[in-house]
Amino acid sequence: MTATMGDPAAGAGPVEPWDGEREPAQKPEEPSLSAGEWLGRNLFSSPVNALLTAVFSLLVLLVVRGLLNFTFSEERTWRAVKTNMRFLFTHAYPQDQYARIWVCVGAIAVLSGLSVGLLARAGRGISMKKLSMNLMATGGVIALGIVLREPSAIVDDEGVALHRDASAAVGDSFADWLDANAFTVLAVLVLANAALAVWFHLQGTYLRGGPEPRVGHGVLVLASFGVLIVQQYATGEIVRESFVDAMSDRAWWWLAAAVLAGGGAALWSGLGDARRRNTFVPAMYVFFVGAGVMVLSAWVYPWGHYGFLEGEFINEPGRTVAMTTKLPWTVMLVLLVATYELGRVLRAAGAGPRLRVPLNLLWVLTPFVLYWAVLRDPDLDWDHVLSTDLPMALFFAAFGGLVVWFLAHPRIGESGRVVAVVLVAVAALNWVAAYFGWYPMLQKARISFLLLAVVALLAHNFAGDRAQRMKLVAVWVATMAVFHWLVTLVNSPSTVDTPTDALIGGFGITLIVAVFTLLLAFPMGVLLALARTSKLPIFRVLSTVYIEVFRGVPLITVLFFFTLIFNLFLPDNMTLVDIAGATIGFALFSAAYLAENVRGGLQAVRRGQYEASDAVGFTTVQRTLFIVLPQALRVSIPPLVGQVIATFKETSLLAIVGIFDFLRIADKVISAQSEFLGVKREGLLFVSFIYWIFAYNMSKHSQRLEKRLGVGER
Amino acid sequence: MSNTDQATLAATQSQRPPFYRDVTVVKWLAQVFTLLLVVFALFFLTTQALENLDRQGIEIKYDFLSIGLGSDLREGIDTDPDTAGRALWAGAVNTIRIAAGGIVAATILGVLIGVGRLSSNWIVSRMCSVFVETIRNIPLLVQIVFIWALVATLPNVELDQGPINGLLHLSNKGLSVPRVHIDDGFYQWLIFVGAGWLVGSFVKRRQERRHDATGRDTYPVLSFLAVLAVFGAVGWVAHPMFGWVGAIFDFIGDGFSSLTPVVVQIVLSLAALAAAAWWIRRFLARLRTPAGLMKLTDDDKFRIIFAGVGALAVIAFVLVGWPGLSSWIINSGTDLLGVIADKFGDGRTGRPIDIKAPDVEQVGNFPNPGPAGLNLTQGGAAVFFGVVLYTASFIAEIVRGGILAVPKGQTEAAQAVGLRRVTMLRRVILPQAFRVILPPLGNQYLNLTKNTSLAIAVGYSDFVQVGQIVYNQTGKTLEVISLWMLFYLACSLTISVVVNFFNIRMKIVER
Repeated sequence: MTATMGDPAAGAGPVEPWDGEREPAQKPEEPSLSAGEWLGRNLFSSPVNALLTAVFSLLVLLVVRGLLNFTFSEERTWRAVKTNMRFLFTHAYPQDQYARIWVCVGAIAVLSGLSVGLLARAGRGISMKKLSMNLMATGGVIALGIVLREPSAIVDDEGVALHRDASAAVGDSFADWLDANAFTVLAVLVLANAALAVWFHLQGTYLRGGPEPRVGHGVLVLASFGVLIVQQYATGEIVRESFVDAMSDRAWWWLAAAVLAGGGAALWSGLGDARRRNTFVPAMYVFFVGAGVMVLSAWVYPWGHYGFLEGEFINEPGRTVAMTTKLPWTVMLVLLVATYELGRVLRAAGAGPRLRVPLNLLWVLTPFVLYWAVLRDPDLDWDHVLSTDLPMALFFAAFGGLVVWFLAHPRIGESGRVVAVVLVAVAALNWVAAYFGWYPMLQKARISFLLLAVVALLAHNFAGDRAQRMKLVAVWVATMAVFHWLVTLVNSPSTVDTPTDALIGGFGITLIVAVFTLLLAFPMGVLLALARTSKLPIFRVLSTVYIEVFRGVPLITVLFFFTLIFNLFLPDNMTLVDIAGATIGFALFSAAYLAENVRGGLQAVRRGQYEASDAVGFTTVQRTLFIVLPQALRVSIPPLVGQVIATFKETSLLAIVGIFDFLRIADKVISAQSEFLGVKREGLLFVSFIYWIFAYNMSKHSQRLEKRLGVGER
Repeated sequence: MSNTDQATLAATQSQRPPFYRDVTVVKWLAQVFTLLLVVFALFFLTTQALENLDRQGIEIKYDFLSIGLGSDLREGIDTDPDTAGRALWAGAVNTIRIAAGGIVAATILGVLIGVGRLSSNWIVSRMCSVFVETIRNIPLLVQIVFIWALVATLPNVELDQGPINGLLHLSNKGLSVPRVHIDDGFYQWLIFVGAGWLVGSFVKRRQERRHDATGRDTYPVLSFLAVLAVFGAVGWVAHPMFGWVGAIFDFIGDGFSSLTPVVVQIVLSLAALAAAAWWIRRFLARLRTPAGLMKLTDDDKFRIIFAGVGALAVIAFVLVGWPGLSSWIINSGTDLLGVIADKFGDGRTGRPIDIKAPDVEQVGNFPNPGPAGLNLTQGGAAVFFGVVLYTASFIAEIVRGGILAVPKGQTEAAQAVGLRRVTMLRRVILPQAFRVILPPLGNQYLNLTKNTSLAIAVGYSDFVQVGQIVYNQTGKTLEVISLWMLFYLACSLTISVVVNFFNIRMKIVER
């Protein structure tokens, strides 16, 4: 690890700045403050500040204590969440097909590892100083939590807490007295704090240094902490452990706290001087260590084996988790680490620039491939494929390729326009014929023709030399291959057998809907934004009306429209399953918001850019694609990521329209199981936690991106 | 370059391009083609829907609004509505209640937290940022459902229970607080208050002028409030003397009811024409320079045509589309005037405003909060606290950004003048930050209003939930969804108009 702990740029030295990004200038090191100085400056700088500190630290501890007591209370049935873990993530996806889910997770792990290793800026990572301080702080927080938590109840054999006899005398210990008078005591302590502040202020010693005020405040604040802790040991209705028993029961937690805090302290002192503390370790390694500890604990620590298999509840506390959980996760971690290292090796070998495009293409393809891998195991009708699907795909690839090759010639002139107009006419005719029923045609042929017509209209904008034209033809052929492959797959029946209509639910459907919503909404949003900023009035009015209407109504009404009655608007031989309808609703809704974000970016593009591209003789399409959009999108990345997060959170509305998504399972399904009747809050807390992890990390990432792109600085 | 080349170049420059390559033609062709495409798509969908409905024997009609609804609402101004329309009205009032209360609460909380995040006190700023980062990264729906589940575990409602006995009840049935309600003489009293407002503004303006002239403290706002208070206090006792006002409204109402629909139709048409003409005049006036009218672009012409077409559309709607509209306006106008007239006179001598403490009543087996207090039911509390916390976390970020956007020199100048921190925040920083804050704040208000529709998940009787009850009973899904969209569009429009009004007022006036 020492090799990587050094300056990462040195390791990758000669190949480093291939994408033109530089390390930001290093900030001057802030002088380290002693603990006393830090307290004086941040917590007790003035009388008002000292009072705020007293009140708010009390508030923080009350909230933390409430949360801890809630989480670790004997009344919580966390077993409900553990048992239904598979249900929460994939709903009724059949157990015997589960390998597919893991293949998908593995594919994402491989791609992520490669991308991070290969493409992400090596960055400075986390400084050793920050790391050791964070470790110490985490250890300290855990220790505080251990002390703050109420003592566990003493339970009988069936796990039910013992209640105190009503006749038995309630003890009149110090804790009981404190419990009865907690409010008064705390108020007195806060008032004393205020009095102290005023006293020292009148003395004039506040600003002139001298540790007395800080020490006085500190003692009073610590005393109120003490009240909160001792109060927990008051005798209530339930028989609880004594202080000593409670502390020894939490030995595992003490161990964790000691290891973290000790490790941090050892790191801190082992590093010695300030210069070495300022070295950096890649953030991924910290993540790997954390994930490694989690996976290891799955093999070692008795988390308990719970599950729900073919209607049978498995309830085996005292065992390690099921092999079907710990083995795949171990494999995933190994894959992630291995591909990350592979990515770093490739990067060091200078393969970064060449692999960037293929890797990004893979990411774009991934949703489709994974969708197929999870939901479709198509029983292909090979006769049909060989007689119709394959020839059609080949025809469009070859014919379209020729057209593109021909039309992208720099000197194509009028004949190119004739070809384009003919193609547009054919494409339009196909759709008109579909409406009047003149001649039958496969829908995918109509769509392919339409795509070809659009390409023909635009091709002259991409004219260039042989290599350029070859590239265009390749893009067309690849598009056709993917398109026809997907249509063929979607049209074939699935062999995944699930008891419900939807093949998958839970977090899986949340992710699928979010990803496809964004894939659909992003191009729409960009087009709408371009139309709204366009000088052409009809385009602008249409897009403005669209955007304002969709921004003016709540998402839930749009979803109801698309899941309840949209089928009414379709021809009678066509129906839309509700998950597809919901995705379309989400996409139309998000597109309006994305459009507004992109519009902000478009308005940030300077006028000179337009004028310059006009001066070079660019067509409108070329100007938009090569000059305006790249700049506009760069500026709008932070709000766009914000919209991605919003869309991800909004997928929870699936629960309202009756789709078994993550939230609905926690809210309605688990609490209806006979074993866990009415158990809701645990599942909801778990769901919030998972949503939070994803959304929080995305928003942090967007903030870093914002800083790196230097939006508003250049 | 050879001579022939130059000749062809000159030739191409002199002649216009063929029409199919003329930029104007291509642009308009593309636009018209797109418009046709959109119109065709809408036409296709609509005819398809009509055909499908016809086959199922269903008609699109809104007469279900006046048909009785078989079920009760959980809460609202009318828990046992006679008709579906009345139920939807009660739902709309519930939505507006939650939204209005939520906007106020979320703004206060959000500003406090946003300022707190910038506090120099480490614990305060940390706590505020933890709050923001936690709340805004968890979906609102999850939070609402979670709060609902939390409220369900509170103790049963009883009279002698809750944080403050008799005044504040917190139970598994929700939250009850004392209610201020309009009593007997309120509307008569309102006349006094209105008069006080007028006199007060006059006094305020005079005091301001005196302040400007002499530089002495004249306390304009305080004098305004004092005048208002005096008028309010006098009116509290003297309001019965305005009992005769009702007769005036009765008289106007009689006159209104004698109008014929044709008159209303003509007035509405003329109003539409006048509005369009006024708009076009203003638009042209803006384009007029001292040298004469500027050349109109395609875009400008389009706008003018659009305004004219809009007016014609309104006239067509009034005359042909819905002729009944006019008589509806007459009837409801007369009703409204009658209702207002009833608010005055005839023994209205009691006090204008009264306060009632919450009560608890037991009809069947379970005690419930009674009608005296202001009750927030379990679902209502979940939605209210959900949207308030969620929106507050976004408002906090907006406020923080706005404050950071105020140039540092302003803070330093304020400190140099010797202002205290609170005064500096109130007088220097926040007013400047407010300009930056207002537009995104308006967006958050919109979001909050729309987010109240999530009430459907916890069974609070808001507009969407009542709508669901209605279409479950009548099968009129399409109509109910159209009402939903119209209602929320109207709400959004109102909020944006209000925010825009303030936005224009707050703008720095530039030369």
